[in-house]
Amino acid sequence: MSGKKKIGLLLGLCLAAALSAGIYGYLQSRVKVLEVGIFAGSNWDVANANSYVIIDKAVEKFEAAHKNVKVHYYSGIRKENYSEWFSRQLLQGKEPDVFMVLGEDFNQFAEIGVMKDLEPLMAKDPEFDEGSYYSTALGAGQYKGRQYALPYETVPTLMFVNKSLLNREGLSVPDNDWTWEDLYRICRRVTKDKDGDGLLDQFGTYNYGWMEALYSNGAKLFNENGTESYLNDEKVTEAVRFARQIAALNGMQKVTRDDFDSGSVAFMPLPFTEYRTYKTYPYKIKKYTKFQWDCITLPAGKEGDNTSVIDTLLMGISNHTEQEQLAWEFLKLLILDEEIQMDLFRYSQGVSVLKEVTCSQEAEEILQADMEKNEKFIDNALVSDVIENGVVTPKFLKYADAVAMADNEIDRIVEDDDNIDNSMRILQRQISAYLRR
Amino acid sequence: MLAVNFIAVLAVTFFIAVTTQRICGDYRAREFLDAVHALPGGEPWHIVIVSAALYLALAFTIVVQERYYTGQTKKLYISLAAEFALSALIAVLLNFNYNGVFLLVFTGVIYYAKGTKGKYLLICLALFCFLLTDSKLVSLSYPLYSINDYFSYYDASMQQYLVGGYSLLSSLNIILFIIYCILMIQQQQGTIDEVNMLYEEIRKTNEDLKNANNQLEEYAKITERMGEVRERNRIAREIHDTLGHTLTGISVGVDACIATVELSPSDAKEHLKRISEVARNGLLDVRRSINELKPDSLERLSLESSITKMITDMRSITDMEIFFDCRIPRLKFDEDEESAIYRVIQESLTNAMRHGKASRVRIVMERVEDTVVLTIQDNGIGCAEIKNGFGTKHIMERIGMLNGTVEFRSENGFSVIARIPIRWGEEYD
Repeated sequence: MSGKKKIGLLLGLCLAAALSAGIYGYLQSRVKVLEVGIFAGSNWDVANANSYVIIDKAVEKFEAAHKNVKVHYYSGIRKENYSEWFSRQLLQGKEPDVFMVLGEDFNQFAEIGVMKDLEPLMAKDPEFDEGSYYSTALGAGQYKGRQYALPYETVPTLMFVNKSLLNREGLSVPDNDWTWEDLYRICRRVTKDKDGDGLLDQFGTYNYGWMEALYSNGAKLFNENGTESYLNDEKVTEAVRFARQIAALNGMQKVTRDDFDSGSVAFMPLPFTEYRTYKTYPYKIKKYTKFQWDCITLPAGKEGDNTSVIDTLLMGISNHTEQEQLAWEFLKLLILDEEIQMDLFRYSQGVSVLKEVTCSQEAEEILQADMEKNEKFIDNALVSDVIENGVVTPKFLKYADAVAMADNEIDRIVEDDDNIDNSMRILQRQISAYLRR
Repeated sequence: MLAVNFIAVLAVTFFIAVTTQRICGDYRAREFLDAVHALPGGEPWHIVIVSAALYLALAFTIVVQERYYTGQTKKLYISLAAEFALSALIAVLLNFNYNGVFLLVFTGVIYYAKGTKGKYLLICLALFCFLLTDSKLVSLSYPLYSINDYFSYYDASMQQYLVGGYSLLSSLNIILFIIYCILMIQQQQGTIDEVNMLYEEIRKTNEDLKNANNQLEEYAKITERMGEVRERNRIAREIHDTLGHTLTGISVGVDACIATVELSPSDAKEHLKRISEVARNGLLDVRRSINELKPDSLERLSLESSITKMITDMRSITDMEIFFDCRIPRLKFDEDEESAIYRVIQESLTNAMRHGKASRVRIVMERVEDTVVLTIQDNGIGCAEIKNGFGTKHIMERIGMLNGTVEFRSENGFSVIARIPIRWGEEYD
């Protein structure tokens, strides 16, 4: 090769390098906008004054770490409008890159391919460690065995205990490993007609039904894919039978919310969020003010544990996002960053999905800080346990309908059917037929 | 068909865009989502524009292909591949709700692939694409949004119209495709008719040819007869040439003997010996002429040596001085030319001896431009008027056969000047 040719080649290479560097620089300097879909207020319908605090913080942190990226979200979409708003964006092909997925939308959205399958991203990212999450929280975002959404915030169900009522009846608050028998014993004890007008005016439970009993009896209603139902399984019938026993205590009378609020009901299943909101300042004064109360686990059935259903707020990435990596980074910031997750205890009412954060001293301090001096916030480790062992409702398309069908019929059985086994067998056939259709 | 497909593609996308807008306007998006199996996955209006653009690109390719690529197999294949790709893109974009576009490409395949090697492969591919991209088939393995979901958003009577319109468009497309196929078949039938007609023509021509052949055969017979006549003439000429020449030599030689026999019997004896030899030679000549009608000398020897031999023979029986001056370095002629030249020389010498009583003959053969000029000049008495005797006539005939010219002059003796044109492509070098 001659000298001239060499120089020419060198010049050409330099030019190409400069050009590609220029293009790269230009592409890098372009401001990318990451659209985020979130709603205002709590996912669990409790008062929340700090809707956007956490997200704003996350956005700030994210934008600081990623130059030329702007994160945008529409503020002011209320939870009740969020689903419709999101669906409209979806139909118009303008869905956000990262978005919250409501529990009732998850199955349908996963079915029609709204969310990206996150497993390749999870596998690729060394920072992501499945082990640091509650497996139940992760499970909430799985559909047909694939992870379509990741948990952002989770909420276990606890049992509200009216301490004042129990004290009055000379009973102590049950331990956290109490059983159905304990519940039944206490209920029978407290259910009475105090003013002697022939009507019961003090009750054992409000809103405690066959589902709650089912979860704590280790029973399953459906298989993972929603192709089979196990309604005539012994564990299920046991739960239904127990629910019927509890209901029978009240005779023909229906326990109402008013009864509960006025302090004449001993127990009620309660999401952690309500506990968190109304047990601490500033909302402490709004609800359940007439009596002393606390929360414990739900009673264990014969075959089960002190477990309850957990509810998880999920976040997903759009299947059509053009900025997959950025969306993943942002999602990761929300669900993996300990600082952000810790803020859930500060500004939200749920529980962090990171075990380490939930069990930390800091979280405990944050929760305790808002409590009255003489009261102790429920033990973090216990909450963590409840979440870890909690029940995740199966994820399949017909789940909501199938459960509604079952609930409707079982409510009737609980109210006035003595032939529970037979009725459950019939129901099992009906539901199975529906599932197979 | 191009237009129908365009309308169909536009209608499908447009309908989805409008319905989407309507759903959103009615605030029933979430409810609608419960009824669908998948989503278009893009902004509906974008899809309208992109699919229209893709379709126009497809139409453009088809038009270009029709106009300019006919007969260029390689380009045809490339453009067909491009059409397949574009159709596939459109079908995917429409989530296989309308795959009639493939029929459009299919027609192209049928039209162009007729003569090519891969026609069955291409047709299978097109058919495969069309069948495989049926929305119901694809949705078995892959979630697809269905236009029917969008139809079901409307009330029953509206749905009827919509479904009707939709099927009308797809059916129309299929009908057009079928019509196209029928036309193709008819056209091919037309081609078959044409081939039959051509065949008939060929058959007729064949018959004509046979007749012509028969005529030709008759003609050939006539020609043969004419050949015989010509041959007879040739034989007459040969006899004259060989026998005449020899006999002339003998008679002149015998005359000389008569004159010298008394003065010098030994000379006469010697003369007679030679005459006898010439006579024998002449006899041989005659025999050969009769057998093959070809001069003996020419058969064996080259032209130059034949001429030289003839001159030597002539010298030995007469007192004539003969000079042969050949100015063409190598004599190379065709047989007929050689024969003609030989005979002209022979005839001229005979004439010079018999009629001119010449004592000296000069033969010059040279090349002047594109002709060979043969000059035979004697110092005899010549003749006042050139008679058209058998000899000169022969010379003229022979040279005439070679498209040459002959000139006879009678000054300072007699001279024959023959000009034979050099034949094209040959060199007398």
